[in-house]
Amino acid sequence: MRRSRRFAWPLLAAVLPFLFMAACFEIVPLISMLFSSFRAEAGSSLTLEHYLTSLSNPFYTKAIRNSVLIALYSSVIGLAVGMIAANTITRLPETVRDRILMISNMTSNFAGVPLAFAFIILLGNNGLFTLLFDDIGLPVLGEFELYSWTGLVLVYVYFQIPLAILLMYPTYYGIKEQWREASGLLGAGTVQFWRYIGLPLLLPGMLGTFSILFANAMGAYATAYALVGGNYNLLAIRIGSLTAGDVYVRPELGSALAVLLAAAMLLAMWINERMMLKVRRDLAG
Amino acid sequence: MKNKGYHYAVIVLLMVYLLLPLLATLLFALAKDWQATILPSGWTLEWFAGMLQDARFMESLGRSLLVCTLSVLLSIIIMVPTIYIVTVYMPKLEKLLYALVLLPYALPGVVMAVGLIRIYSGGPVPITGTLWILIGAYFVIILPYMYQGIRNALRTVNARELTNAAELLGATRAQAFKLVVLPNILPGIMVSVLLSFSILFGEFVLANLLVGGRYETVQIYLYKRLSESGHLSSAVAIAYFGFVLVLSGLLLRLGKWVLRTPDIR
Amino acid sequence: MGSYFTLNAITKSFNGSQVLNNLSLEAEQGELLTLLGPSGCGKSTLLRCIAGLDVMDNGSILLDGVELSTLPAKKRNVGMVFQSYALFPNLTVYDNIAFGLKMRGDRREQIRSRVEEMLELVELSGKRKEYPHRLSGGQQQRVALARSLAVEPKLLLLDEPLSALDAKIRRNLRMELRRIQQRLKMTMIFVTHDQEEALMISDRVFIMNEGQIIQSGRPEEIYTEPSSAFTARFIGHYNVLNRQEMEAVFGLRELAGSAYAIRPEAVKLRPADEETAHGVKAQDDSFRDSSALTAQGHVTEVTVLGSLIRCTVSTGETEIQADMLNDRYRFPIRQGTGVTLAVDPEDCRNLDHGGAIGRCPSYQKNESFTSLSGSRFTAR
Repeated sequence: MRRSRRFAWPLLAAVLPFLFMAACFEIVPLISMLFSSFRAEAGSSLTLEHYLTSLSNPFYTKAIRNSVLIALYSSVIGLAVGMIAANTITRLPETVRDRILMISNMTSNFAGVPLAFAFIILLGNNGLFTLLFDDIGLPVLGEFELYSWTGLVLVYVYFQIPLAILLMYPTYYGIKEQWREASGLLGAGTVQFWRYIGLPLLLPGMLGTFSILFANAMGAYATAYALVGGNYNLLAIRIGSLTAGDVYVRPELGSALAVLLAAAMLLAMWINERMMLKVRRDLAG
Repeated sequence: MKNKGYHYAVIVLLMVYLLLPLLATLLFALAKDWQATILPSGWTLEWFAGMLQDARFMESLGRSLLVCTLSVLLSIIIMVPTIYIVTVYMPKLEKLLYALVLLPYALPGVVMAVGLIRIYSGGPVPITGTLWILIGAYFVIILPYMYQGIRNALRTVNARELTNAAELLGATRAQAFKLVVLPNILPGIMVSVLLSFSILFGEFVLANLLVGGRYETVQIYLYKRLSESGHLSSAVAIAYFGFVLVLSGLLLRLGKWVLRTPDIR
Repeated sequence: MGSYFTLNAITKSFNGSQVLNNLSLEAEQGELLTLLGPSGCGKSTLLRCIAGLDVMDNGSILLDGVELSTLPAKKRNVGMVFQSYALFPNLTVYDNIAFGLKMRGDRREQIRSRVEEMLELVELSGKRKEYPHRLSGGQQQRVALARSLAVEPKLLLLDEPLSALDAKIRRNLRMELRRIQQRLKMTMIFVTHDQEEALMISDRVFIMNEGQIIQSGRPEEIYTEPSSAFTARFIGHYNVLNRQEMEAVFGLRELAGSAYAIRPEAVKLRPADEETAHGVKAQDDSFRDSSALTAQGHVTEVTVLGSLIRCTVSTGETEIQADMLNDRYRFPIRQGTGVTLAVDPEDCRNLDHGGAIGRCPSYQKNESFTSLSGSRFTAR
């Protein structure tokens, strides 16, 4: 193996800048975050105190619960709408299909600060729809408050739908028209087709997509920050203000919350990988 | 096609839902005055003009362009050779590369920010609040997109075999890369660049947490302006979206081209 | 060490499994050798080791008196043609062929005349300005061949160069390749998993399995004299019977070898029913010969392969395949037909020692066998 070594050295040198950058801006910061989450605020002893605080202090458990609930609701709604849309898209002529996928793709870029602002224009205190419904005297929006929990879900759903479409579309696309025809010839109706063939094939894709949507909403920061500011009690916002806030900075506690969030995200990603593997296997060929 | 009506109803509803916020923003950017009425009372282009005359906006635009360009440039210089070398010569390192590249995709910006602030707020390299920390962070968050585009391009042109063929014909490694591989993966690199650029241009989390007001990018500017002038902010948002639109259009063209070329037979 | 090209004791393992196992071979200048084997037998790895694209663990490679194993790929003077052609998509046909010459630093005029010469050789002069993706698969592979030949390598390796092509183009290109090789007297090593291809174009065939060469020889020898059950099955759909089966089917006793191979076209069939048999007897003498091995059975499967008909005959425990010419003399045959089968003992190859069955040393060659064996290349 002496020969191949000699060949490899200059190549390895060319890879070094990447390893350097990844170390400086990815690995070392993450490791440092992990360490700091176990360090006491005064002194340098190791402690689990921040994790205990994160999981028992009502203020932080509320933040976690809020985030989980918003992620859950927005993912379920987003997935449902995304599935209906993806199903429809696969039945359309190719030109229409391409155009709609393009629009989904572009609107998935429309997130964060501009999106929050667009919703303020539509549904804020002086929003287009707020005034419209007031005018007509419809009570639909009477109780609605954009800067609340329901408002956040509504805005989150907006950026979840295009993502759900883009993620679910390949799975629907993989379900071949011939399978529907074959099951029809064997005497199955539409409902039976979906019950016995369609849904079992979709299920892994659904789980995978759901985990991505959930992670996406859990980690979302910009949209909520722009809409309700740094004081709203969401996990991502809490982490931000604990580490980089102006008033009340507790980096060790922030690190612990961030580690918890990271763990949840990695779990979601892992589930998605596994599920996508299954989707590819099922729908191969 | 059965249920034609149903499917078209779904599409129309979806399009309305997806495009409505954009439309509202556009209306607001073009409205002369829009207080307590359902539709604006007059139309104007003054907000767009105001945007272009606003020195603070132009400066933030300059900063955004600078930081995005530098980050993407740095990424090309470092990642193209790295991905090529690992793919062709060191397949054993592929798993490591993949893990390092995928991690930023899995972790949200706010988590990345926590670690970066820990390291670079004090210590030997206090760069929090400067352009440099943002470039470092941006380098990391675009890794997945750079990797995907370049890796796919290398695969479609079968870079490993092209390299083998070139070397057997007497080319050095550098010649094989420069004369044979690089020209053929350029479209793939462009896809990566455009995608990364459009993502970085809309990036708010890291910019806000790592540099905040000390290095005002377009997104930070937009956020700060929201409460001051809604119309101006709408104009900025529309301009930003137009920019993303152009990038996406280019991407789509290129993407099709990349997918079309590789047919060997 | 008089040979032009010598591989000596090549060994390579990959992830703990032995891919090449102490492999040696020699080639003369101007010879076309074929490495034939199933996928995964190590033949492509062997080529990549010769070219310097993979590193071997042990062994030596000698080409025209130069030891290659310490040289990098580009200094070995070895060309290679890939299954996927590996043409450079950003370069025209002309520039693809010129690439190696440019790398070598040839003068412009030299390059031009050499490229033109190559274009003529592969009959693509009209396509010099086209880009690879505008060419058909066959044309692309001819460009790849010209590109490799342009730099006049001392040895050209071809890694399944034809397997991505349609059957018809494959056949034409195969002959063209052989023609070019003979004209240039180029030493070539050709890798394939297609036995027909190997038998048609090679001077010598090397059969590879599990990282070793298990038999080598001229195509006609390889086909008629398999030395192992693997070769027998891989190259000609031989019936391979172990001693017990052999003894049971043909009513023999105390055979010397542990396994025997019988070519399907050497198995003669005659209907068991005398009346149908009458017409057949007249033109097939093998049944009258007392030394022929015979057995009774019935047909379980009939497959028409064009000029041949392949029958599977069940003789009690064992199934035997028999090929017969699909001509107008043949008797009607279908599933369930009772048959008598006869085999010349000369055609029962003892796989232990080589040679035919040891029972009847004095045997007269029968006319009908030679006439039938002419059809062997059409089998498959």
